[in-house]
Amino acid sequence: MKITVDTDLCEVHGDCVVAAPDIFDIGEDDDVVQILNAEPGEEYRKAIVQAVKMCPVAAIRIEG
Amino acid sequence: MTTTAPELRIFDYDTYAQGDPTTFGLPLEQYRHLRDEEPCFLQEFDDPMLIDRAWVVSRNEDIWEVDRNTELYAADRGYVNIWQVVPIDPKNGGLPAMLTTDGPRHREQRQVLAKAFTPGMVRKLEGKFRKYAKDVVDDALEKGTFNFVHTIAHNMPMEALGDVLGVPQEDRAKFFGWVDKFAAPFDTRITASFDEVMEAIGNLMVYSEELAELKRANPADDVMSRLVASGEGGNPLMSADEIVGNVALLASGAAESTRTAMSHGMHELMRNEKAMAWMRTHQDNLPPTVIQEMVRIASPFTHLVRTATRDHELHGKQIKEGDIVAMLFAAGNFDERAFDRPDEFQPDRIENPHVSFGRGAHKCLGQHVAALEMKILFEELFQRTSSIEPAGPISYVRDAYSRGVYELPVTITPA
Repeated sequence: MKITVDTDLCEVHGDCVVAAPDIFDIGEDDDVVQILNAEPGEEYRKAIVQAVKMCPVAAIRIEG
Repeated sequence: MTTTAPELRIFDYDTYAQGDPTTFGLPLEQYRHLRDEEPCFLQEFDDPMLIDRAWVVSRNEDIWEVDRNTELYAADRGYVNIWQVVPIDPKNGGLPAMLTTDGPRHREQRQVLAKAFTPGMVRKLEGKFRKYAKDVVDDALEKGTFNFVHTIAHNMPMEALGDVLGVPQEDRAKFFGWVDKFAAPFDTRITASFDEVMEAIGNLMVYSEELAELKRANPADDVMSRLVASGEGGNPLMSADEIVGNVALLASGAAESTRTAMSHGMHELMRNEKAMAWMRTHQDNLPPTVIQEMVRIASPFTHLVRTATRDHELHGKQIKEGDIVAMLFAAGNFDERAFDRPDEFQPDRIENPHVSFGRGAHKCLGQHVAALEMKILFEELFQRTSSIEPAGPISYVRDAYSRGVYELPVTITPA
Protein backbone atom coordinates (compact mmCIF):
# COMPACT_ATOMS: atom_id res chain seq x y z
CA MET A 1 0.00 0.00 0.00
CA LYS A 2 1.07 3.56 -0.69
CA ILE A 3 0.26 6.59 1.46
CA THR A 4 -0.11 10.12 0.12
CA VAL A 5 -1.11 13.40 1.75
CA ASP A 6 -2.66 16.34 -0.08
CA THR A 7 -0.46 19.10 1.31
CA ASP A 8 -2.84 21.79 0.00
CA LEU A 9 -5.44 20.50 2.45
CA CYS A 10 -3.34 19.56 5.50
CA GLU A 11 -3.78 21.93 8.46
CA VAL A 12 -1.64 19.92 10.92
CA HIS A 13 -4.55 18.91 13.12
CA GLY A 14 -2.43 15.96 14.27
CA ASP A 15 -5.18 13.34 14.35
CA CYS A 16 -3.16 11.08 12.02
CA VAL A 17 -0.14 11.30 14.33
CA VAL A 18 -2.31 10.06 17.18
CA ALA A 19 -3.84 7.27 15.07
CA ALA A 20 -0.63 6.08 13.37
CA PRO A 21 2.48 7.54 15.05
CA ASP A 22 4.83 5.20 13.16
CA ILE A 23 3.63 6.56 9.83
CA PHE A 24 2.96 10.26 10.38
CA ASP A 25 4.84 12.98 12.20
CA ILE A 26 4.66 16.76 12.55
CA GLY A 27 7.94 18.41 13.49
CA GLU A 28 8.27 21.74 15.19
CA ASP A 29 8.50 23.83 12.02
CA ASP A 30 6.42 21.70 9.69
CA ASP A 31 3.55 23.42 7.91
CA VAL A 32 2.21 20.06 6.80
CA VAL A 33 2.45 16.51 8.09
CA GLN A 34 5.49 14.40 7.20
CA ILE A 35 5.11 10.80 6.06
CA LEU A 36 7.71 8.68 7.85
CA ASN A 37 6.97 5.57 5.85
CA ALA A 38 5.09 5.99 2.57
CA GLU A 39 4.92 2.27 1.75
CA PRO A 40 4.33 0.53 5.06
CA GLY A 41 3.60 -3.15 5.62
CA GLU A 42 0.10 -4.61 5.99
CA GLU A 43 0.40 -4.61 9.79
CA TYR A 44 -0.11 -0.82 9.71
CA ARG A 45 -3.27 -0.85 7.61
CA LYS A 46 -5.71 -0.68 10.50
CA ALA A 47 -3.99 2.33 12.07
CA ILE A 48 -3.73 4.10 8.71
CA VAL A 49 -7.39 3.50 7.86
CA GLN A 50 -8.16 5.08 11.22
CA ALA A 51 -5.92 8.05 10.36
CA VAL A 52 -7.75 8.51 7.04
CA LYS A 53 -11.09 8.44 8.82
CA MET A 54 -9.98 10.84 11.55
CA CYS A 55 -8.34 13.48 9.32
CA PRO A 56 -10.62 16.52 9.70
CA VAL A 57 -9.80 17.78 6.20
CA ALA A 58 -9.70 14.39 4.40
CA ALA A 59 -6.14 14.93 3.20
CA ILE A 60 -4.83 11.33 3.41
CA ARG A 61 -5.12 8.71 0.66
CA ILE A 62 -4.28 5.00 0.66
CA GLU A 63 -3.52 3.30 -2.66
CA GLY A 64 -3.53 -0.47 -2.81
CA MET B 1 -46.49 1.04 18.33
CA THR B 2 -46.11 4.75 18.82
CA THR B 3 -44.50 6.26 21.85
CA THR B 4 -45.40 9.63 23.29
CA ALA B 5 -42.89 12.23 22.20
CA PRO B 6 -41.09 13.93 25.07
CA GLU B 7 -41.46 17.68 25.32
CA LEU B 8 -38.50 19.08 23.44
CA ARG B 9 -36.55 21.65 25.42
CA ILE B 10 -33.05 21.00 24.14
CA PHE B 11 -31.97 24.65 24.22
CA ASP B 12 -33.51 25.67 27.56
CA TYR B 13 -31.03 26.71 30.24
CA ASP B 14 -33.02 24.87 32.87
CA THR B 15 -32.94 21.58 30.97
CA TYR B 16 -29.22 21.54 31.72
CA ALA B 17 -29.30 23.35 35.08
CA GLN B 18 -31.70 20.69 36.36
CA GLY B 19 -30.14 17.83 34.44
CA ASP B 20 -30.52 14.26 35.65
CA PRO B 21 -27.21 13.11 37.21
CA THR B 22 -27.99 9.51 36.22
CA THR B 23 -27.97 10.43 32.51
CA PHE B 24 -24.79 12.53 32.55
CA GLY B 25 -26.95 15.61 33.18
CA LEU B 26 -28.23 15.40 29.61
CA PRO B 27 -31.79 15.10 28.23
CA LEU B 28 -30.99 11.78 26.58
CA GLU B 29 -34.68 10.94 25.92
CA GLN B 30 -35.20 14.18 24.02
CA TYR B 31 -32.03 13.55 22.04
CA ARG B 32 -33.15 10.03 21.17
CA HIS B 33 -36.51 11.31 19.96
CA LEU B 34 -34.77 13.85 17.74
CA ARG B 35 -32.38 11.31 16.23
CA ASP B 36 -35.12 8.72 15.61
CA GLU B 37 -38.10 10.87 14.65
CA GLU B 38 -36.86 14.33 13.67
CA PRO B 39 -33.24 14.08 12.52
CA CYS B 40 -33.54 17.52 10.93
CA PHE B 41 -35.61 19.48 13.42
CA LEU B 42 -36.62 23.13 13.12
CA GLN B 43 -36.08 24.87 16.45
CA GLU B 44 -37.73 28.29 16.76
CA PHE B 45 -36.48 30.74 19.38
CA ASP B 46 -38.30 33.64 20.96
CA ASP B 47 -35.60 35.50 22.84
CA PRO B 48 -33.82 38.72 21.86
CA MET B 49 -30.50 37.23 23.04
CA LEU B 50 -30.81 34.29 20.63
CA ILE B 51 -31.02 33.71 16.90
CA ASP B 52 -34.50 33.28 15.36
CA ARG B 53 -34.39 29.65 14.31
CA ALA B 54 -32.09 26.77 13.44
CA TRP B 55 -32.29 23.38 11.79
CA VAL B 56 -30.96 20.92 14.36
CA VAL B 57 -29.03 17.83 13.26
CA SER B 58 -28.55 15.25 16.00
CA ARG B 59 -27.31 12.03 14.40
CA ASN B 60 -23.60 11.33 14.69
CA GLU B 61 -23.15 10.76 10.96
CA ASP B 62 -24.99 13.95 10.03
CA ILE B 63 -22.86 16.02 12.40
CA TRP B 64 -19.70 14.59 10.80
CA GLU B 65 -21.13 15.52 7.40
CA VAL B 66 -22.13 19.08 8.32
CA ASP B 67 -18.83 19.73 10.10
CA ARG B 68 -16.74 18.44 7.18
CA ASN B 69 -18.68 19.99 4.33
CA THR B 70 -17.57 23.60 4.70
CA GLU B 71 -18.59 24.32 1.12
CA LEU B 72 -22.27 23.60 1.91
CA TYR B 73 -22.21 24.54 5.62
CA ALA B 74 -20.18 27.70 6.07
CA ALA B 75 -18.69 29.05 9.28
CA ASP B 76 -17.99 32.53 7.86
CA ARG B 77 -21.54 33.79 7.35
CA GLY B 78 -22.28 34.84 10.92
CA TYR B 79 -23.08 33.14 14.23
CA VAL B 80 -21.14 30.54 16.22
CA ASN B 81 -23.86 29.12 18.44
CA ILE B 82 -27.49 30.02 19.15
CA TRP B 83 -26.47 33.34 20.72
CA GLN B 84 -27.22 36.50 18.80
CA VAL B 85 -23.87 38.03 19.78
CA VAL B 86 -20.47 36.43 20.20
CA PRO B 87 -17.21 38.42 20.34
CA ILE B 88 -15.60 36.53 17.45
CA ASP B 89 -18.37 36.99 14.89
CA PRO B 90 -17.32 39.81 12.53
CA LYS B 91 -20.74 39.67 10.81
CA ASN B 92 -22.38 40.79 14.05
CA GLY B 93 -20.01 43.35 15.47
CA GLY B 94 -17.28 41.01 16.72
CA LEU B 95 -13.68 40.51 15.66
CA PRO B 96 -12.51 37.97 13.07
CA ALA B 97 -11.13 34.64 14.32
CA MET B 98 -10.49 31.18 12.92
CA LEU B 99 -13.84 29.73 13.95
CA THR B 100 -15.70 32.30 11.88
CA THR B 101 -13.47 32.01 8.78
CA ASP B 102 -13.43 29.39 6.03
CA GLY B 103 -11.27 28.29 3.11
CA PRO B 104 -7.71 29.51 2.43
CA ARG B 105 -7.99 32.33 4.99
CA HIS B 106 -8.91 29.84 7.67
CA ARG B 107 -6.06 27.55 6.71
CA GLU B 108 -3.50 30.39 6.77
CA GLN B 109 -4.51 31.41 10.28
CA ARG B 110 -4.83 27.88 11.50
CA GLN B 111 -1.35 26.92 10.35
CA VAL B 112 0.22 29.75 12.33
CA LEU B 113 -1.42 28.51 15.49
CA ALA B 114 -1.62 24.79 14.84
CA LYS B 115 2.15 24.35 15.02
CA ALA B 116 1.97 25.19 18.71
CA PHE B 117 -0.69 22.55 19.30
CA THR B 118 0.62 19.46 17.52
CA PRO B 119 1.00 16.24 19.53
CA GLY B 120 4.79 16.71 19.56
CA MET B 121 4.67 20.30 20.80
CA VAL B 122 2.09 19.38 23.40
CA ARG B 123 4.31 16.63 24.79
CA LYS B 124 6.81 19.33 25.73
CA LEU B 125 4.26 20.71 28.19
CA GLU B 126 4.13 17.49 30.18
CA GLY B 127 6.69 18.51 32.84
CA LYS B 128 4.86 21.75 33.56
CA PHE B 129 1.50 20.00 33.69
CA ARG B 130 2.85 17.41 36.16
CA LYS B 131 3.91 20.22 38.44
CA TYR B 132 0.49 21.91 38.26
CA ALA B 133 -1.18 18.58 38.94
CA LYS B 134 1.04 17.98 41.95
CA ASP B 135 0.25 21.43 43.40
CA VAL B 136 -3.46 20.97 42.79
CA VAL B 137 -3.53 17.56 44.48
CA ASP B 138 -1.39 18.85 47.39
CA ASP B 139 -4.02 21.52 47.98
CA ALA B 140 -6.88 19.03 47.64
CA LEU B 141 -5.31 16.57 50.11
CA GLU B 142 -4.94 19.38 52.60
CA LYS B 143 -8.66 20.22 52.27
CA GLY B 144 -9.92 16.65 52.30
CA THR B 145 -13.46 17.65 51.34
CA PHE B 146 -13.98 20.28 48.64
CA ASN B 147 -15.71 21.32 45.43
CA PHE B 148 -13.89 19.34 42.72
CA VAL B 149 -14.73 21.97 40.11
CA HIS B 150 -12.88 24.76 41.90
CA THR B 151 -10.15 22.92 43.75
CA ILE B 152 -9.09 20.45 41.07
CA ALA B 153 -10.57 21.11 37.66
CA HIS B 154 -10.29 24.87 37.51
CA ASN B 155 -6.64 25.65 38.05
CA MET B 156 -4.77 23.48 35.59
CA PRO B 157 -6.60 24.36 32.36
CA MET B 158 -6.26 28.02 33.29
CA GLU B 159 -2.52 27.77 33.94
CA ALA B 160 -2.14 25.72 30.76
CA LEU B 161 -3.90 28.46 28.80
CA GLY B 162 -1.62 31.03 30.46
CA ASP B 163 1.46 29.00 29.51
CA VAL B 164 0.44 28.31 25.93
CA LEU B 165 -0.53 31.91 25.32
CA GLY B 166 2.42 33.35 27.25
CA VAL B 167 0.57 35.34 29.94
CA PRO B 168 3.05 36.63 32.56
CA GLN B 169 2.55 35.27 36.09
CA GLU B 170 1.64 38.64 37.55
CA ASP B 171 -1.26 39.06 35.07
CA ARG B 172 -2.76 35.62 35.45
CA ALA B 173 -5.21 36.29 38.28
CA LYS B 174 -6.99 39.08 36.42
CA PHE B 175 -6.76 37.21 33.10
CA PHE B 176 -8.36 34.09 34.62
CA GLY B 177 -11.05 36.28 36.18
CA TRP B 178 -12.13 37.58 32.77
CA VAL B 179 -12.04 34.14 31.18
CA ASP B 180 -14.25 32.76 33.96
CA LYS B 181 -16.81 35.50 33.37
CA PHE B 182 -17.64 34.61 29.83
CA ALA B 183 -17.96 30.94 30.56
CA ALA B 184 -21.54 31.27 31.81
CA PRO B 185 -23.22 34.45 30.60
CA PHE B 186 -26.72 33.36 31.63
CA ASP B 187 -26.03 31.93 35.09
CA THR B 188 -26.55 34.79 37.54
CA ARG B 189 -24.62 32.94 40.25
CA ILE B 190 -21.52 33.39 38.06
CA THR B 191 -22.26 36.60 36.17
CA ALA B 192 -24.86 39.01 37.52
CA SER B 193 -25.71 40.37 34.08
CA PHE B 194 -24.84 40.00 30.42
CA ASP B 195 -23.19 43.42 30.63
CA GLU B 196 -20.64 41.93 33.00
CA VAL B 197 -19.84 39.31 30.38
CA MET B 198 -19.34 41.91 27.69
CA GLU B 199 -17.18 43.96 30.05
CA ALA B 200 -14.97 40.95 30.76
CA ILE B 201 -14.59 40.28 27.05
CA GLY B 202 -13.75 43.95 26.48
CA ASN B 203 -11.11 43.83 29.20
CA LEU B 204 -9.64 40.66 27.76
CA MET B 205 -9.42 42.24 24.34
CA VAL B 206 -7.71 45.38 25.63
CA TYR B 207 -5.30 43.18 27.57
CA SER B 208 -4.61 41.09 24.44
CA GLU B 209 -3.34 44.21 22.71
CA GLU B 210 -1.07 44.96 25.66
CA LEU B 211 0.20 41.41 25.63
CA ALA B 212 0.84 41.66 21.89
CA GLU B 213 2.96 44.76 22.51
CA LEU B 214 4.89 42.93 25.21
CA LYS B 215 5.61 39.98 22.91
CA ARG B 216 6.66 42.26 20.06
CA ALA B 217 9.32 43.66 22.35
CA ASN B 218 10.19 40.32 24.00
CA PRO B 219 9.27 37.37 21.78
CA ALA B 220 9.18 34.01 23.55
CA ASP B 221 8.20 30.46 22.74
CA ASP B 222 4.45 30.96 23.05
CA VAL B 223 1.34 31.39 20.95
CA MET B 224 1.08 35.15 21.42
CA SER B 225 4.58 35.56 20.02
CA ARG B 226 3.57 33.44 17.02
CA LEU B 227 0.47 35.54 16.43
CA VAL B 228 2.43 38.77 16.66
CA ALA B 229 5.20 37.54 14.36
CA SER B 230 2.53 36.63 11.79
CA GLY B 231 1.23 40.20 11.95
CA GLU B 232 4.54 41.81 11.11
CA GLY B 233 6.74 42.36 8.11
CA GLY B 234 5.88 43.70 4.68
CA ASN B 235 3.01 41.31 4.23
CA PRO B 236 1.52 40.55 7.64
CA LEU B 237 -0.56 37.41 7.77
CA MET B 238 -2.81 38.53 10.61
CA SER B 239 -4.30 41.92 11.29
CA ALA B 240 -4.41 43.42 14.77
CA ASP B 241 -8.10 42.54 14.94
CA GLU B 242 -7.46 38.93 13.96
CA ILE B 243 -4.79 38.62 16.65
CA VAL B 244 -7.19 39.85 19.34
CA GLY B 245 -10.08 37.80 17.96
CA ASN B 246 -8.03 34.63 18.00
CA VAL B 247 -6.91 35.26 21.58
CA ALA B 248 -10.57 35.61 22.58
CA LEU B 249 -11.32 32.36 20.74
CA LEU B 250 -8.50 30.50 22.48
CA ALA B 251 -9.52 31.85 25.88
CA SER B 252 -13.15 30.87 25.43
CA GLY B 253 -12.31 27.43 24.09
CA ALA B 254 -9.53 26.41 26.42
CA ALA B 255 -10.19 26.61 30.08
CA GLU B 256 -13.82 26.06 30.82
CA SER B 257 -14.33 23.15 28.41
CA THR B 258 -11.49 21.15 29.96
CA ARG B 259 -12.73 21.90 33.47
CA THR B 260 -16.18 20.73 32.40
CA ALA B 261 -14.88 17.49 30.91
CA MET B 262 -12.86 16.68 34.04
CA SER B 263 -15.81 17.39 36.33
CA HIS B 264 -18.35 15.31 34.41
CA GLY B 265 -15.75 12.56 34.14
CA MET B 266 -15.09 12.56 37.89
CA HIS B 267 -18.80 12.53 38.66
CA GLU B 268 -19.36 9.52 36.43
CA LEU B 269 -16.48 7.60 38.03
CA MET B 270 -18.01 8.11 41.48
CA ARG B 271 -21.35 6.77 40.23
CA ASN B 272 -19.84 3.84 38.41
CA GLU B 273 -18.03 1.32 40.58
CA LYS B 274 -16.74 -0.68 37.64
CA ALA B 275 -15.22 2.37 35.96
CA MET B 276 -13.69 3.52 39.23
CA ALA B 277 -12.05 0.11 39.70
CA TRP B 278 -10.79 0.27 36.11
CA MET B 279 -9.21 3.67 36.84
CA ARG B 280 -7.46 2.24 39.88
CA THR B 281 -6.04 -0.58 37.75
CA HIS B 282 -4.76 1.87 35.13
CA GLN B 283 -3.81 4.83 37.31
CA ASP B 284 -0.08 4.69 36.58
CA ASN B 285 -0.61 5.25 32.86
CA LEU B 286 -4.15 6.11 31.79
CA PRO B 287 -4.94 4.99 28.24
CA PRO B 288 -6.39 7.59 25.86
CA THR B 289 -9.66 5.64 25.67
CA VAL B 290 -10.85 6.79 29.08
CA ILE B 291 -10.01 10.42 28.37
CA GLN B 292 -11.92 10.38 25.08
CA GLU B 293 -14.84 8.67 26.82
CA MET B 294 -14.95 11.44 29.42
CA VAL B 295 -14.93 14.01 26.64
CA ARG B 296 -17.79 12.15 24.92
CA ILE B 297 -20.13 11.98 27.93
CA ALA B 298 -19.22 15.50 29.02
CA SER B 299 -20.03 17.06 25.62
CA PRO B 300 -18.64 20.35 27.00
CA PHE B 301 -20.26 22.44 24.26
CA THR B 302 -23.71 21.14 23.36
CA HIS B 303 -23.67 22.58 19.86
CA LEU B 304 -22.15 24.92 17.27
CA VAL B 305 -23.84 26.29 14.17
CA ARG B 306 -23.11 26.76 10.47
CA THR B 307 -24.97 28.54 7.66
CA ALA B 308 -26.29 26.76 4.55
CA THR B 309 -24.66 28.18 1.41
CA ARG B 310 -27.42 26.98 -0.96
CA ASP B 311 -30.90 25.47 -0.96
CA HIS B 312 -30.86 21.73 -0.33
CA GLU B 313 -32.85 18.92 1.21
CA LEU B 314 -31.95 17.03 4.39
CA HIS B 315 -34.10 14.23 5.80
CA GLY B 316 -37.02 15.52 3.75
CA LYS B 317 -36.70 19.10 5.03
CA GLN B 318 -36.09 22.01 2.65
CA ILE B 319 -33.08 23.96 3.94
CA LYS B 320 -32.71 27.34 2.26
CA GLU B 321 -29.55 29.29 1.57
CA GLY B 322 -28.82 31.42 4.64
CA ASP B 323 -30.61 29.08 7.05
CA ILE B 324 -28.71 28.23 10.22
CA VAL B 325 -27.90 24.57 10.86
CA ALA B 326 -27.03 23.56 14.44
CA MET B 327 -24.87 20.52 15.10
CA LEU B 328 -26.18 19.14 18.38
CA PHE B 329 -22.91 17.47 19.46
CA ALA B 330 -24.35 16.26 22.75
CA ALA B 331 -27.02 14.25 20.90
CA GLY B 332 -24.53 12.91 18.34
CA ASN B 333 -22.41 11.55 21.19
CA PHE B 334 -25.19 9.15 22.28
CA ASP B 335 -26.27 7.83 18.89
CA GLU B 336 -26.57 4.02 18.88
CA ARG B 337 -26.01 4.12 15.11
CA ALA B 338 -22.40 5.09 15.91
CA PHE B 339 -21.72 3.69 19.38
CA ASP B 340 -22.08 0.35 21.11
CA ARG B 341 -24.31 0.97 24.17
CA PRO B 342 -23.84 4.76 24.08
CA ASP B 343 -25.63 5.34 27.38
CA GLU B 344 -22.87 3.46 29.20
CA PHE B 345 -19.55 4.96 30.27
CA GLN B 346 -16.92 2.55 28.94
CA PRO B 347 -13.37 3.57 29.92
CA ASP B 348 -11.87 1.16 27.38
CA ARG B 349 -14.13 2.14 24.46
CA ILE B 350 -12.05 1.72 21.30
CA GLU B 351 -14.55 2.82 18.62
CA ASN B 352 -15.40 6.30 19.82
CA PRO B 353 -16.38 8.67 16.99
CA HIS B 354 -17.54 11.35 19.44
CA VAL B 355 -18.07 14.87 18.15
CA SER B 356 -17.20 16.87 21.27
CA PHE B 357 -14.12 18.35 19.57
CA GLY B 358 -15.88 18.67 16.21
CA ARG B 359 -14.75 16.60 13.21
CA GLY B 360 -13.94 19.00 10.39
CA ALA B 361 -11.58 21.83 9.53
CA HIS B 362 -12.65 23.68 12.68
CA LYS B 363 -11.84 20.77 14.96
CA CYS B 364 -10.73 21.83 18.43
CA LEU B 365 -7.22 23.27 18.21
CA GLY B 366 -6.54 22.37 21.82
CA GLN B 367 -7.68 18.74 21.69
CA HIS B 368 -4.20 17.32 22.33
CA VAL B 369 -3.55 19.80 25.16
CA ALA B 370 -6.86 18.97 26.81
CA ALA B 371 -6.25 15.23 26.58
CA LEU B 372 -2.79 15.57 28.15
CA GLU B 373 -4.05 17.81 30.97
CA MET B 374 -6.78 15.33 31.82
CA LYS B 375 -4.49 12.33 31.69
CA ILE B 376 -1.89 13.91 33.98
CA LEU B 377 -4.37 15.33 36.45
CA PHE B 378 -6.30 12.09 36.89
CA GLU B 379 -3.08 10.07 37.17
CA GLU B 380 -1.78 12.35 39.92
CA LEU B 381 -5.12 12.37 41.74
CA PHE B 382 -5.57 8.61 41.64
CA GLN B 383 -1.98 7.74 42.48
CA ARG B 384 -2.07 9.88 45.61
CA THR B 385 -5.49 8.88 46.94
CA SER B 386 -6.91 5.60 48.16
CA SER B 387 -10.51 6.70 47.71
CA ILE B 388 -12.54 9.47 46.10
CA GLU B 389 -16.13 9.68 47.36
CA PRO B 390 -19.05 12.00 46.74
CA ALA B 391 -19.67 14.49 49.56
CA GLY B 392 -22.95 15.84 48.19
CA PRO B 393 -24.96 16.06 44.97
CA ILE B 394 -23.65 17.46 41.72
CA SER B 395 -25.16 20.70 40.41
CA TYR B 396 -24.88 22.13 36.94
CA VAL B 397 -24.33 25.57 35.46
CA ARG B 398 -27.46 27.16 33.99
CA ASP B 399 -26.59 27.25 30.32
CA ALA B 400 -27.65 25.49 27.13
CA TYR B 401 -24.39 25.98 25.24
CA SER B 402 -21.64 25.23 27.72
CA ARG B 403 -22.22 22.30 30.03
CA GLY B 404 -20.40 23.56 33.07
CA VAL B 405 -20.55 21.82 36.43
CA TYR B 406 -21.32 24.31 39.22
CA GLU B 407 -20.52 22.12 42.18
CA LEU B 408 -19.18 18.60 42.67
CA PRO B 409 -18.50 17.99 46.37
CA VAL B 410 -15.95 15.21 46.98
CA THR B 411 -13.99 13.73 49.85
CA ILE B 412 -10.59 12.18 49.20
CA THR B 413 -8.46 9.92 51.37
CA PRO B 414 -4.66 9.99 50.97
CA ALA B 415 -2.98 6.88 49.54
